[in-house]
Amino acid sequence: MILFVGFDLLDRQILDRDGQDVGKVDDVEFTVGEDGSPYLTALLVGPEALGRRLGGWLGRVVSGVAARLAMARPGPIRIPYDAVEKVDNAVHLKIRRELLPEPELEAWLREHVIARIPGNDHEE
Amino acid sequence: MKKFLAVTLGILTAIGGFVDIGDLVAASQSGARFGMSLAWVMLVGVVGICAYAEMAGRVVAITNRPVFDLVRERLGPRMGLLNLVASFLVTLMTLGAELGGVALAVELATSVHRLLWVPVAGVVLWVALWRVKFETLERVFGLAGLLLVVFVVALFQMHAPWPDLWHQALSPMPDQGENWNTYFYFGISLFASALTPYEVFFFSSGGVEEKWGPKDLPVMRANVFIGFPLGGLLALGLMAVAAVVYHPLDVQLNSLAQVALPVAATLGKLGLAAAILAFFATTFGAAMETGLSSAYVVAQYFGWPWGKLLGPRRAARFHVVLMVSILIGMAVLFTTINPIQLTEYMLVFSAVVLPLTYLPILVVANDRQYLGDHVNGRFANAVGMVFLVVVVVAAVAAIPLMIVTGAGG
Repeated sequence: MILFVGFDLLDRQILDRDGQDVGKVDDVEFTVGEDGSPYLTALLVGPEALGRRLGGWLGRVVSGVAARLAMARPGPIRIPYDAVEKVDNAVHLKIRRELLPEPELEAWLREHVIARIPGNDHEE
Repeated sequence: MKKFLAVTLGILTAIGGFVDIGDLVAASQSGARFGMSLAWVMLVGVVGICAYAEMAGRVVAITNRPVFDLVRERLGPRMGLLNLVASFLVTLMTLGAELGGVALAVELATSVHRLLWVPVAGVVLWVALWRVKFETLERVFGLAGLLLVVFVVALFQMHAPWPDLWHQALSPMPDQGENWNTYFYFGISLFASALTPYEVFFFSSGGVEEKWGPKDLPVMRANVFIGFPLGGLLALGLMAVAAVVYHPLDVQLNSLAQVALPVAATLGKLGLAAAILAFFATTFGAAMETGLSSAYVVAQYFGWPWGKLLGPRRAARFHVVLMVSILIGMAVLFTTINPIQLTEYMLVFSAVVLPLTYLPILVVANDRQYLGDHVNGRFANAVGMVFLVVVVVAAVAAIPLMIVTGAGG
């Protein structure tokens, strides 16, 4: 089956092995192989990658802010394409999301906002 | 038998859940102003919401993707973002209006000013969603919303002039002394009240969380095709009561007390209590739905974990957006804007953004790659297309009509 990156991959939801939300395919990474033809190496996730695709001043702002937030781990989250199990109406990974770096905003908000409010740790 | 009960409960909840502050305001106001001559708009609106909710539900049952997920995928990041901003703002306005409705309902019961109830309503709403006790509450409020049936009962008790109401309903035009602009302005509000965008966001997201599959399609369809039209019937009841009592007097409706008054006059204290409880239940239920919807759309655009079943720790970004949305909804009300007026504006802007939600649904419902054999049939597409034209016309006309008529004044 032929995979159209622009149509079948970009902007799809990424789910981990257990069906948990990981993020969107905000961008993709190509590498040029030894024979000179490019091949898909990774999915890029996070506002920094999204900002680049948004373009314009807004895109620059989004990328810039995201880059500032992610001082410890520069660049978007990179998911090697080898970790992709299959692509249908979502992108399913072979791995669990705990193996990937956690998005900064999620970690920051959990630590600084959610953790300070009582009753935050229940599950239905 | 158990399954039958569950289905019945689902349908009853859908009936009560259909009505919210938009319907309370738009149906009563148009009844008071134009009698039953706008009743056809309600019918058209119900057909539309049924057609599109069914499509959204089918997409969820087959693909497990909620509506806003598909919006980003089909429209791309830029158009998707524009859509997100518009849908988010309108949903926030709706949240503010629903919270205002809650405050007004409690004011009716207690005579304590609505602004004092706004923070209480906001905090209770937030706690309910934070503790994720949503499932039960949704049921309770949906069922309590059925109390709106007192308006239909009142209609029979007051010996409504049925032939006159029929006659008005069959002559879809403004009365003498009114003009077409005002007529269509009220029509668009009424139309938007049946179709408020958050309804499909909420409906489809709920379906994802309840893990609908192809085998749930019949139940989903029963909820939509029985529940929504019966909900529309309740709204018509509101319209008819206002048409009987206020239309001949040429009185304009601008408070919930006026909406409830005919029920109190015909059915006494108990009737009034039921009406107030119904107002409270429908607006609070809708406040929960709009609060969640505003966080759903943001999370689904960016791909974050979301859901009423995920504890706050596991969906920090989602829960922070939810919290901020409720705060903004409360802040809007603290400008001391009258919630009824806020509702009128909310309906106009809902009409403007409707095509942004409905077009992607129609496109995906026709995509074989997603839906396989469950794509739209000819009938669904015919209804969908005709309807899309109506939605676009309403969206284009909404703001000019608001300006020309001075918001129906």
